[in-house]
Amino acid sequence: MTAIELPEIELTGPVTAAKPCALHPQAMCPAFGALRVLARIDGAHPVMATDIGCNYGLTFVTHFYGSRKSLLTHQLGTSELMQGDVVEGTRAAIEMAAQEPGCELIPVISLCVAETAGLPEEMLPTRVGNAEVVLVRVPAYAIYSHPETKDVALSTVLARLGEQDGPRADKTVVILGEVFPADPLAIDHLLRRMGVEQTIVLPGRNVGDLRRAGRVGAVAPLHPFYNRTITLFRSWRIPVVGGAPVGISGTYAWIKSLGEMLHLDPVLVNQIAEAERAAAQAVADHQPIEGTVLVTGYEGTELAYARLLIEAGADVPYVSTSIGQDPLVLPDELWLRRHGVRDIIYRKTLEHDVAALDAFKPDFVLGTTPFCNIAKDRGIPALYFTNQLAARPFFLSGGMAATAGFVRNAIAGGARAQWMLDFFAE
Amino acid sequence: MPNLIRDIPETSGYWGAVWTVCNLPDIHVIADAPVGCYSLLASAVSNYTDAIPNLENITPSFIREAEVMGSGTWPAVENVYKGLHETGKLEGKQLIVVSTAESEMIGSDLSEFMGRLGYNAKFFHSESLTHDEWTGRDRALIWLWENYGGNSATTALEPGLVNIIGPTYGCFNAPADLHEIRRLVEGAGGRINVVFPYEATVADIARLPKAQVNVVMYKEFGHTLANALERPWLYAPMGLRATTDFIRQLAQMLGTTDQAERFIKREKATTLKPIWDMWKGPQGDWYSTTTVGIVATGTYVDGLRAFLGDEMGMPVTLTAARPLRPGDMDNIALRKAIHAGAPSFLFGSINEKIYLSEAGNKMTNFIPAAFPGPIVRRALGTPFMGYAGTVYVVQEIVNRLFETLFNVLPLDTAYGRPAGGPPVAAKPSLPWQPAAKAQLDAALSKLHFLTRISVSQELQMAAETYAHTQHLSEVTPEVVEAVLAGRQGERR
Repeated sequence: MTAIELPEIELTGPVTAAKPCALHPQAMCPAFGALRVLARIDGAHPVMATDIGCNYGLTFVTHFYGSRKSLLTHQLGTSELMQGDVVEGTRAAIEMAAQEPGCELIPVISLCVAETAGLPEEMLPTRVGNAEVVLVRVPAYAIYSHPETKDVALSTVLARLGEQDGPRADKTVVILGEVFPADPLAIDHLLRRMGVEQTIVLPGRNVGDLRRAGRVGAVAPLHPFYNRTITLFRSWRIPVVGGAPVGISGTYAWIKSLGEMLHLDPVLVNQIAEAERAAAQAVADHQPIEGTVLVTGYEGTELAYARLLIEAGADVPYVSTSIGQDPLVLPDELWLRRHGVRDIIYRKTLEHDVAALDAFKPDFVLGTTPFCNIAKDRGIPALYFTNQLAARPFFLSGGMAATAGFVRNAIAGGARAQWMLDFFAE
Repeated sequence: MPNLIRDIPETSGYWGAVWTVCNLPDIHVIADAPVGCYSLLASAVSNYTDAIPNLENITPSFIREAEVMGSGTWPAVENVYKGLHETGKLEGKQLIVVSTAESEMIGSDLSEFMGRLGYNAKFFHSESLTHDEWTGRDRALIWLWENYGGNSATTALEPGLVNIIGPTYGCFNAPADLHEIRRLVEGAGGRINVVFPYEATVADIARLPKAQVNVVMYKEFGHTLANALERPWLYAPMGLRATTDFIRQLAQMLGTTDQAERFIKREKATTLKPIWDMWKGPQGDWYSTTTVGIVATGTYVDGLRAFLGDEMGMPVTLTAARPLRPGDMDNIALRKAIHAGAPSFLFGSINEKIYLSEAGNKMTNFIPAAFPGPIVRRALGTPFMGYAGTVYVVQEIVNRLFETLFNVLPLDTAYGRPAGGPPVAAKPSLPWQPAAKAQLDAALSKLHFLTRISVSQELQMAAETYAHTQHLSEVTPEVVEAVLAGRQGERR
C-alpha cells in the first residue's frame, strides 16, 4: 500500500496551482432542486413565495425537468412588499392550492426575496383541508447548489410526515437519491435476492412513502449530499449504509456492508457481492474506456461517476462539482486521489473547469452547458452531464455497463467534433 | 385580496433588460444577482428557448448571505469587476451593472459607484420588483439610446434606410419573423440600416437616426425608442391585409411605390400562392369549422386573430394576451376554461399545453406560439409575421389536421392479437337508449368534425363491447359514461 503515498503528496496539480480567477459559478438555481423533488410528488401542490423573475425561471425549469404541474404563487413586488403582504399572499395561495383535487401536501417554497422580507412560519397554517402545509426555505444566497436543496426539501417534508409509531419494518430499506428509473428496480431486485423485503425510493412520487420511511430498517444514500436527511434518519435511530453501489469495488463493498447491517445471510450476501463484482469487472475487461475524461457537472454526483469511469479504464485527472466538501464525499475523494485524480474542486466555477481544459487536454468532457460550449469550441467532444448521464442506468454492474458504454461511444465520436469545428471555422 | 398567479407567463424587468443589452457583443453585464438569477437566465432557460449554449457576456456579482445581511453588494460587484478587468474580459467593451429583484430588495443602488469603475461603466436599475420583461426591454432600449446614442435632430437622414427595432433574446420566433420583415422591407424598396438590438454593436446606436423609417416588431416594447428617434414608424404586420398595408405605407414613406406594387404582385404569384390554392382546394373548406384559440403576446393574438379569424374565417373562440390586457383571462381563469373545453387548435405556451394534458385533452392540437416553454425557433422558415407567416401558419394547421385524422383512423385490431389465436367473434349490435345516444353526441360535438366519424365509430364499438361484458341488452347512459371515463383515464 505504499503506492498510496505518492499521489496524495501531489495534491496541487497544475489547476489549483494556477488559481484561476473564479467569476462564473457553475450551479443551477439552488431552489430548483427543492422545487423539482416536491413538484414530482403526487398530490403535492407547491406554492412559491417570490418575485416574478425568479418565479418565471424556476417555473420554466420545473415544467421542463420536474413535472407537468401547474404552480401557484402570489404577486410579490414593490407594492406588496411595502404593504407587508408576504404572509397574506402566501396564505391565499395555500388556500387555492388546497382546492386542487386530491391535494395532500402543500410545500411552501420560500425564495430569496420572500426570505429577505421575512416569512414567519408561525403565521402560516400547518394543515388546510386534507393537506399538510410544509414551509421549505431555500434562498439561493444561503444555499449554494441545487443538489443541496433536494436534501433541504426532503428532510423538511420527512420531518413532518415520517411516522415513528407502529412496528419497524426491519427488512425495508430506503434508497436515497434521485436516479434513473431503471436503477431502483435493479437495486430492489438485487436486495430482494439477499433477503430484503421492500425498498422505498426517496425522493419519490408518493406521500405514503414519506410517511412509512420513518419506520424502515436502514437507509442507503446513493448520493453524497443528503446530509440533513441522513441526520434525520439517525435521529430516528435508523442505521445508514455507507458508500454506494457504484463500479467494481464500490458495489462489492456496499452489498457487503448492507448485508451486515441488516443481518442478512452472510453466505448468500457474499455470493451476490462476488457475482456483481465479477460482472462489473467483466465490463472493465472487455470494453475498457480509453482516453482522458474531465468530469465537471453540477449535480453533486460527479465524484461517483469519476470513480466508475476510472474503474472502467478512463484517465480522469480532474473532477469538479457544485456541492461543498462534506464528510459524506470524503470516501470517494480519497479513492479518487489514490487513483490518479489530480484535482477535485468543490463549489467550482467555469474558470476552474477551463483551467483544467488547458492543463489536461482531455479526449472527452462531461460538463455544464457553458463549459461544454467552450470544449466544443475547441473541437473536443463534450456532453451535458445533467441531461446525458441522468438518462442512463448507473448503479450495480448493469449501470456500469450502460454508463461506460455510453462514454466509450462518445469518445469514439471525437472526429465529428473536430469536423464541425473545422466547418464553422472556415 | 392578494393577486394570485398561476404558472407565470412573463418574467421580470431584469430578464428583459439583460436579454436586450446582451445582444450587443461589445457590452458586458455584471448582474447584481444571486447565483440562480444568473444561471437561470444565462444558461438554463436560454439553452432551451433561444437555443444558445450560454450568454457569454454576463457575470454575476454572486450575492451571498453576507451581502444580504448587511455588507450590501458593492464589494461583491467591485470584486467581480477586478476579476473581469484583470483577465482581460472587458477589453473593448462597455460595462453595464444591472440590478435584480434581490439587489433591489436590499436597496442596492450602485449608481454613485460607477465612477470608480472603468470601461464607461453605467448602472441600469431594472426595477425588477415592479416591471415585467416587456417594460424591461422597452426601458433598456431607450436607455441604450440615451446613454450611447446620437442626436436625431442633427443626424442626416439617408433616404431608403430602415431600422428594425425589437428582436431580443426571449422573443418567440424572432429569427424567422425578423427574416420575413427584412424581406418585406427590402421588397418594398427599403434598405436595412440597423437591426436593433439583435444584430447591433454599441457604435450602431448612434447610427439609428440615419434611417428614414423605423419598423417596430412588437406591440409590447420598442415604441418608446421609436418615438424618441423622431422618425415615422410602423409596426411589423401579420396577415394578408396588414402585410399589404404595411408594404404600401412603407413604400409611400420611402417613395418607392412602384417597386412595392411590383413586389406585392410577385408575392401573390409566389410566396402567397399556396394561400390561394388551399383556399380553392379542400383545405379552405375546413376553415369555417376549425376553431382556434390564441394565448400569446398581444402582437401575436391580434395578428393571428385578424388573419385566421377575419381573413380565413376560422372561429376564434378563445384569446388571452400576455402580458394581460384589460379583460383578458389570467391563467387561473384560463386553466378553468381549458379544462371545461378547448378549441380544435390552441396556440400557446407550455402552460396551455399543461392545462390540456391535465384535462386529458388529446384532441386539441397544441401549436407553440409563445414562451415560456422549451422550444427551438431558430429556423428562418417558420415565421408568423408577414406574407410568409400566413403560409406557414395555415400549412401548420392543415398538416396537424391530417395528423389528427391519421391517429383516429381505425387500425386493424388483428395486428394486436397473438398469432394463430382464434378470430374475434362478431357480436350483435345493441339498441341505444335515447339518453345514451345524446350523451355520445355531446361528447362528439367537442371534437373537430374531421375526426368525428372515426371517433364516433370507436366509441360506439367500445360502448357496445362494454355493454356485452356487463350482460346488458341495450346501451345505457351509465355505459357511455364508463367508456368516456375510460378514454379520459387512458389519456393521462
